[in-house]
Amino acid sequence: MIAPKFIPLVLRQLLRHRVRSMLTLGGVITAMFLFVTIQAMQAGVSAATQQNADDTTLVVYRKDRFCPFTSQLPEYYQSKIQGIDGVRAVIPMKIVVNNCRTSLDVVTFRGVPLDAFLAVRQEELHLVDGSFELWRHRSDAALLGETLAARRGLKVGDRFDAAGVTAYVAGILRSEEVQDKNVAYVHLDFLQQATDKNLGIVTQFNVLVDAASDLDRVARAIDDEFAVAEHPTTTRSEKAFVAYAAADMVELVAFTRYLGWGCIAAVLTLVGNAIVLSVQDRVKDHAILQTLGYSPWLIGRLVLCEGIVVGLLGGGMGTLLAAGVIEWGQFSLSTDGLSIPIEATPLLLLTGMGISLALGVLAGVVPAWQATRCEIARCFRAV
Amino acid sequence: MIQCEKVTKEYHKGDNVIRPLDGLDLEIPSGHFLALMGPSGSGKTTLLNLIAGIDSPSSGTLRVDGLDLSGLSRGKLAAWRSQTIGYIFQLYNLVPVLTAYENVELPLLLHSMSRKERHRRVAGALDLVDLADRHSHYPRQLSGGQEQRVAIARAIVADPKVVVADEPTGDLDRDSASAIMALLQQLNRVLKKTLIMVTHDPKTADYADQTLHLDKGKLMDGRAASSGSALDDEVTP
Ligand SMILES: Nc1ncnc2c1ncn2[C@@H]1O[C@H](COP(=O)(O)OP(=O)(O)O)[C@@H](O)[C@H]1O
Ligand SMILES: [Mg+2]
Repeated sequence: MIAPKFIPLVLRQLLRHRVRSMLTLGGVITAMFLFVTIQAMQAGVSAATQQNADDTTLVVYRKDRFCPFTSQLPEYYQSKIQGIDGVRAVIPMKIVVNNCRTSLDVVTFRGVPLDAFLAVRQEELHLVDGSFELWRHRSDAALLGETLAARRGLKVGDRFDAAGVTAYVAGILRSEEVQDKNVAYVHLDFLQQATDKNLGIVTQFNVLVDAASDLDRVARAIDDEFAVAEHPTTTRSEKAFVAYAAADMVELVAFTRYLGWGCIAAVLTLVGNAIVLSVQDRVKDHAILQTLGYSPWLIGRLVLCEGIVVGLLGGGMGTLLAAGVIEWGQFSLSTDGLSIPIEATPLLLLTGMGISLALGVLAGVVPAWQATRCEIARCFRAV
Repeated sequence: MIQCEKVTKEYHKGDNVIRPLDGLDLEIPSGHFLALMGPSGSGKTTLLNLIAGIDSPSSGTLRVDGLDLSGLSRGKLAAWRSQTIGYIFQLYNLVPVLTAYENVELPLLLHSMSRKERHRRVAGALDLVDLADRHSHYPRQLSGGQEQRVAIARAIVADPKVVVADEPTGDLDRDSASAIMALLQQLNRVLKKTLIMVTHDPKTADYADQTLHLDKGKLMDGRAASSGSALDDEVTP
């Protein structure tokens, strides 16, 4: 683009109007902060709702129910589901949330039978602290998702309260599964006792299927099994279930995409405006440089670099700021016990930087082109 | 050697045609010091701009050391200027956000040379104009005479063959003006630069080898100056 020896020249021109440059930078930081945050929400929604080719988990829910309070299924369905061809494992699950509305700080309890749960999940769950032994031996013990633990500042040995349940932290777990990150796994009977004493009733069944390609067939077989029972079911893949149960939130987040585009437009006009103004101020400087032998093409590139510096600096700071806030806050959008974590992934940071760079270039193009058009003799007379 | 043949420059303003240069013929040998005089609007700046390759003639040919400038693209012309021309303006035209040192360094950034070599040359040029102690001063912190000396250092730092100066002392008091003229004469005598200078002041013109008068785009009868010898004592350091 330009040789490094020209960079001080570019920076000097940017510092020419300090206040103006600072204001521009502030605007870019703010806009990119918003953009990256919105992107993080979008990415969180995609991760929680978009099915992968190798997903093998089904969720069996009470038909036509949307909330864990109203989905009630008899625990004995477990053995019936287990009998269906293609089913590897069934985990009955009682779900209790401290707040059934959409919120950023929801604690979701998942009550599970220990043996069934560990038999299926122990391998893929990594404990960063505590132990499965401890969890097994205390009746009020809970395994906390990493995000939840970080948000509430909980360590192994702590007790915590939510939804009228007091539990003991026996371990902190790390998992690739989105829904694991924001939950507290407790013993099923403990949770049943601690809440509505509704023994023998669970909220849902999580069903592991042998082959991902079998997902749809098994789902239909389960629903057929209970079609005429007292408690009919609807079975979906876990991601589709999240997309369905959290539809309002997913729609809302989808709408924020337009806000993101608005941020991009704001950055573009801010940087473009700043560079156009500064190029108009410098018609004479550019005529001087041309007189000294700077080609119009080189001057254009110098101007373009100003856009890039502002874009990268402001965009980079906005992106890092957003990443910092997201990382520090460990936010997740939760509704009905389902959680959509907002995460600043490296890819997101890279995207933020890339977009900042692209915006800088784009904003610099017009003023750069204007700068190359200046005919020296005319420019000297114009000022 | 600079050769102008029937050089004409025209500007069109609506139906009006302004012709600052009208079929001008001129030859300037290498190493010559030429002064151009003439009333305001007679085309002096226009001629300097053509010779310096920052503007091109409407018709006629202009050759510098045999090279026809009208055949060059804007980019090529820029590269040629950076090798060949040093331009000194009446109002100095330093870049305000750069220090004296950085202003002088500007032309050298276009040449491939090490930072160290650039430093050597910039320091040398500022030394030559007696501003070795003003490297980090900004133009606004310098007097007019000092600014013009920085501009001279900038014009010669890349060692061009031709230096053009448009009323270089026009905005300066007598003392600063004669210091500048002494410098320019030194460029011509010692460094053997071809020097073309526009001036309003006959005394300033006396430093030159030759003075030509422009009027209405044409050269009047030239008169050979007395080689400036009468003034030598006054200005030689
Ligand atoms: N870009 C231009 N457009 C129109 N007229 C111009 C332009 N440049 C110079 N002129 C005209 O050409 C004439 C000569 O200008 P110039 O060479 O600057 O004169 P001098 O330097 O001798 O005072 C003037 O009448 C000026 O108005
Ligand atoms: Mg003039």
